[in-house]
Amino acid sequence: MEGLKQKLSENILDKFSMDFLRNQVLKNAYGNDDTVIARLDPRILLVWYLFFAVVPWFSDNLVFLAASFLLVAVTTILARVAGLVLFLFGIGVFAQTGYLFLVSLFFGGNAQTILPLLVLTLKVATVSLASITVFSGLDPDRLSNGLMWYGCPERLSFSISYAYRMLPMLMEEFQNVLLSYRLRGCAPDASTFMGKIRNLIYQVKVIIHSFYPLMLNTAKRSRTTVEALELKGYRYAAVNKEVKRMKLASLRVTNDDLLFLAVSVFWIALAVLVNTLL
Amino acid sequence: MIEIRNLTFTYPGAEKATLRDVNLEVEKGDFLAIVGNNGCGKSTLCKVINGLIPHFIMGEMTGSVRVDGVDTLETDIGGLAQKAGYVYQDFENQIVRPTVLDDASYACMNYAMKDYLERGKEALEQCGLSGREQDYVWQLSGGQTHLLALAGAVSLRPEVLILDEPIAQLDPAHADRIYQVLRELNEKHGKTIIVIEHHTEYIAEYCRNVLLLKDGHVEWKLPAGEALARVEELRSCNIYPPQITMAAYELQRRGSLPSAERLPSTVKEGQAAFENLSFRPGPSWGHTRMKGERMAAFEDVSVSYRAVKGEPRKIFEHLNLEIRKGEKIAIVGSNGAGKSTLMKLMTGLLKAQRGRVLLKEKEIRDTKPEALSRTVSLVYQNPEDMFIKDSVEADIAFAMKERQVPDWEERTRRLLERFRLTELKDRDGRLLSGGQMRRASLAVGIALNPEILLLDEPTANLDIATRREIMRTLNDMKHITETVLIATHDMQLVCEWAERIVVLCGGRVIADGSRNQIFGNEIVRRQAGIRPPEIFTMGQLLTPDAFCYTVEEFADCFGEKERNGRAAV
Repeated sequence: MEGLKQKLSENILDKFSMDFLRNQVLKNAYGNDDTVIARLDPRILLVWYLFFAVVPWFSDNLVFLAASFLLVAVTTILARVAGLVLFLFGIGVFAQTGYLFLVSLFFGGNAQTILPLLVLTLKVATVSLASITVFSGLDPDRLSNGLMWYGCPERLSFSISYAYRMLPMLMEEFQNVLLSYRLRGCAPDASTFMGKIRNLIYQVKVIIHSFYPLMLNTAKRSRTTVEALELKGYRYAAVNKEVKRMKLASLRVTNDDLLFLAVSVFWIALAVLVNTLL
Repeated sequence: MIEIRNLTFTYPGAEKATLRDVNLEVEKGDFLAIVGNNGCGKSTLCKVINGLIPHFIMGEMTGSVRVDGVDTLETDIGGLAQKAGYVYQDFENQIVRPTVLDDASYACMNYAMKDYLERGKEALEQCGLSGREQDYVWQLSGGQTHLLALAGAVSLRPEVLILDEPIAQLDPAHADRIYQVLRELNEKHGKTIIVIEHHTEYIAEYCRNVLLLKDGHVEWKLPAGEALARVEELRSCNIYPPQITMAAYELQRRGSLPSAERLPSTVKEGQAAFENLSFRPGPSWGHTRMKGERMAAFEDVSVSYRAVKGEPRKIFEHLNLEIRKGEKIAIVGSNGAGKSTLMKLMTGLLKAQRGRVLLKEKEIRDTKPEALSRTVSLVYQNPEDMFIKDSVEADIAFAMKERQVPDWEERTRRLLERFRLTELKDRDGRLLSGGQMRRASLAVGIALNPEILLLDEPTANLDIATRREIMRTLNDMKHITETVLIATHDMQLVCEWAERIVVLCGGRVIADGSRNQIFGNEIVRRQAGIRPPEIFTMGQLLTPDAFCYTVEEFADCFGEKERNGRAAV
């Protein structure tokens, strides 16, 4: 039993190492470019998202909300979102409304009080899952192209894809700086309860301190990047309409996209129909 | 192709001109190496050619620069980028897009070229990256990343390609690859290539002409062979001619070679020049294996990394290794053979999935890295990551202060002095020069007086003069820390410093022994992709009995015995 407990705690600690976080973030950003969702046209997906991000707020209909929730849950599975993101989603939804649910039960609430809470939870969950599907299932580059098509400034879309380009490098560097602190610093002893708290405070402090060297290193790098962007004609492209047209020429609506839309529309229509019949 | 007349350039705020009165002509199809001391204006000269100066970097410029018949002052950067491509020394920062093809064609797209994808693909093919189009840039190795940066420049189809220290960060196999690609671009596609290069071996092998820059002034431009034979002049500028040339020079000085002959610069030329010399074995290095206390051991260790996609990547499988007190070990092997992983295992940063890692006979699985840091200290490959404070002094003191080491102030002062950092102590570590940064990171590494010191690529990214300096520092340090492990590609460092060499390949130790055992074993050399120093290859070609690792040893073995005053054994 003791051994099992130790093994379990070791496992959890191991899971939350920097390395694991890095792996999850990368997986989320790049690891799922071959899923059904990732292959869809970003413009279609953005329209789809708009619907599921806005409409649920205005509806109190349980059937419609449940149907929407089921649909986005399926798309989230299809997008093969990384485990960490789903875990954070779970915590997020619970922190928003789930605890209210428990509290109301505790103070003698009944189905009457639970129902509105359930509605709210469903709304939040649907919107969150739709966001996760689009922003984490879609390749950042395609996402930024889609945004550009809808008239978002070039600078925004470049920033998105550049951020994703830099992410692995920054994560690795951050990890190294953090290790420097850990190896050379001296963490408080964590065997007592107070020690554990002190240790936690120490860890948080180290993470905050690590941003300073990271920023300086990044600033040093950017000297070359700025020159390289100039040579690669970044400034020309920003003012040239022709370039924008060329960039977006790669976007194409295929049958798969239409099928995806059709299935979504059909499903929601079915829900509405069932609702009126009931 | 390039015509520079009376060019003088001063950076804003600088007192002295960085380039003064430069006159230069480069013909179409040339393969030119620019050499010179640190800070002599090599990079500035290249930025003048591609128009970053004066269009992007302001400053005071007089004289004229014409590239392909066009005055750089009268064209914009876009126009010039299509005439002269540039690859930076820190090339990874030049890559701005997430996928390979995307980055290669990015410039073409920005300049609104309709066929940008074809151009990108063509450039990738010319740079030997076809098949990798859809990969993410961080999946590439260092050498491939460099080729991608090159492809990004090639895609615009410029006539001139300029590369700033292309192979400084690469292992020999990747370095060869880069130069082969450059040679092909030069010979098959008629590009004019200009490299800033410290590795004179590569200049001898690949370049046609050499330009020596000294204090912002062109000293001369000569054919490569002739240029490299000017040993004294090059040495005065901190440039080390190829080992073959140095050896011939030394032998001429000792009178073993007729001094009228031109000095050879490649192994092939050397073979002809040294043909008639007779070999006499030098005092052989007695190799005694340390029998001291066991400091660290790996028992049947297996490690794999999580991959972003697909199966975890196996780094070690059933690795076994023992490290004894007082050993000076070099860990060699190609990129990705697990050198850094081995070191991380010893510091406790990484846990083995299977097997045991022992430090001083204690298993370290349940020990925190913090607790081990007095026994083991690791100096990263990238010294910037070692600096967490805003001054060198604070960085060195940090670990001692945190642990309340008695008289840490005094120890910090002594360390600053020992590594010649006293004058730099208030500067930020990141803003130091490459060599100073390395010295500072070494000082940080030994601040806690560890029993085992681990150095990951201590001579990477340094020019040769600085590398020598770091090698001297490492040799000095032999007395301070007893047990030292260095992971490195730098075979000169291995030959001159290590007493035991461990070769990693495919997750195992494939060879372990003295330098004669490792470098003398062709199978191991080929399997692990190790290339001995050129002088060793030269000696072996002349006679299989010759094990010469330095120019000195070579001259001793092949020179006349009475002249160097050493008794023959």
